[in-house]
Amino acid sequence: MSTLEALAERLDVAQLSRTAIPSLGDGLGIGDAYAVQSAVLARRTARGERLTGVKLGFTSKAKMAQMGVSEVILGRLTDAMRSDDGADVVLSRFIHPRIEPEIAFRLSRDIESDDPTDIESCVDAVAPALEIIDSRYRDFRFTHVDVVADNTSAAGYVIGAWHPVQDLTNRAVRLLSGRTELVGSTAAILGAPVRALHALRGVCRDHRIPLRAGQIVLAGAVTAAVPFTRGVTTCDVAGLGMVTVRGV
Amino acid sequence: MTDRDAQIDTAVTMLTEAARSGIPCPPVRDHVADIDTAYEVQRRLTAARVETGARRVGAKIGLTARAVQQQFGVYQPDFGILLDDMVNGHTEPLRRNRFLQPRAEGEIAFVLGRDLDQPGVTVADVLRATDFVLAAVEIVDSRIAGWDLTITDTVADNASSGAVVLGTTPFRLDGLDLARVGMTLHLDGEPVSFGAGHACLGSPVVAVAWLARELARRGQPLAAGDVVMSGALGPMVPITGAGRYRLVLDGLGEVEAVIEEEEDA
Repeated sequence: MSTLEALAERLDVAQLSRTAIPSLGDGLGIGDAYAVQSAVLARRTARGERLTGVKLGFTSKAKMAQMGVSEVILGRLTDAMRSDDGADVVLSRFIHPRIEPEIAFRLSRDIESDDPTDIESCVDAVAPALEIIDSRYRDFRFTHVDVVADNTSAAGYVIGAWHPVQDLTNRAVRLLSGRTELVGSTAAILGAPVRALHALRGVCRDHRIPLRAGQIVLAGAVTAAVPFTRGVTTCDVAGLGMVTVRGV
Repeated sequence: MTDRDAQIDTAVTMLTEAARSGIPCPPVRDHVADIDTAYEVQRRLTAARVETGARRVGAKIGLTARAVQQQFGVYQPDFGILLDDMVNGHTEPLRRNRFLQPRAEGEIAFVLGRDLDQPGVTVADVLRATDFVLAAVEIVDSRIAGWDLTITDTVADNASSGAVVLGTTPFRLDGLDLARVGMTLHLDGEPVSFGAGHACLGSPVVAVAWLARELARRGQPLAAGDVVMSGALGPMVPITGAGRYRLVLDGLGEVEAVIEEEEDA
């Protein structure tokens, strides 16, 4: 087993056993981290999971500054992570889950990693979304390379009703989770969520990641994440409506 | 002179001197026993400015974000009085040195077409009385060193007010949901603060109703023509030097506050 494969196994076992692990440590490059991520995903698809899309991380200036990076990161979504709008989600699936409000795009056609087509023309719908993140690392303590290897903490997602493509710059967003309320604007995603699509193209090109028709793109968090606990969490995006999930 | 009067005099003198000299003063809370006393300090400071020629043109509400209320350990907002020398228009340059420790906030300004002087003002009264709303940047400032504030410090210091910069495109409230207005504040083109109307007591309309009741209760009711700053929609941004603070409100236009350093002018 190669070193990268062994690291993928550690992360996969951490997720399956709901047991946090320490940082992978120094010595990995960002290319290696994406290779570990792909190996983790290969293990998941070998168990019957199907790729349903991608998600972006580090899409806020504050988060980039905190992590000392200037580039977004990408993770992969699978059908096992998806829950329906309004559904119950069993909390014991996770290690220490957090939830955050997002914007989702739906792709209308395949995009190869070197496809020059304008990605904006490959989106046919937008929706409000919630993402559940669950780092496989202890206390969410990780480096840039760690979090990429860990599939950018991807753990779950819920998509609200799809709407026609529209300008989503600076929409009001409200996350309500129990008594916790966080308010923001979609401009927190790189100044405008549409910029996340262009950033995605760059990451797909650099790491040779193809996208497929029907897949979704989670563009990045609008506010900080809050602990995902028992009870109802909703995300309200002005003009796109609400999406809801219940932790049980 | 009672001890309370002497303490009020001390707080008034400290805040007046800080504003005059540009050198922040220590907190005044030890001289201001409670919120009513703090509003008395504020009233005297404002009256002194009016005596020297300033004109009252409206009011501002502060502490409208739950997170900020928790930080101050209070469960209600506060208010300050707007004077004509604090009000500026879109892109009118403001000297950095007219402030002590300024910070910028994105807000919605209400301009009233009718008096709101009843003690029990409701959201419905506010909606009826509002002539139009404008995008507005509030430049908050504190005369108290390091923003080391309790609720009584900020109330005494006119709710940490500095200046306001009003947009020039009026919007009528018909059909508008101010809770769902997204807010982005840009500094020299970079987005630096994000928020929405939800963050202001649930809706800026609710904030203005509170303000109208509180001002009526304290004998300083809102009147037709008043400009009302309805509270921050997102986090404050420190103003460290010259810069363009451009506020964009989703569906409600934009406004730009231009801060200049002395040497630019």
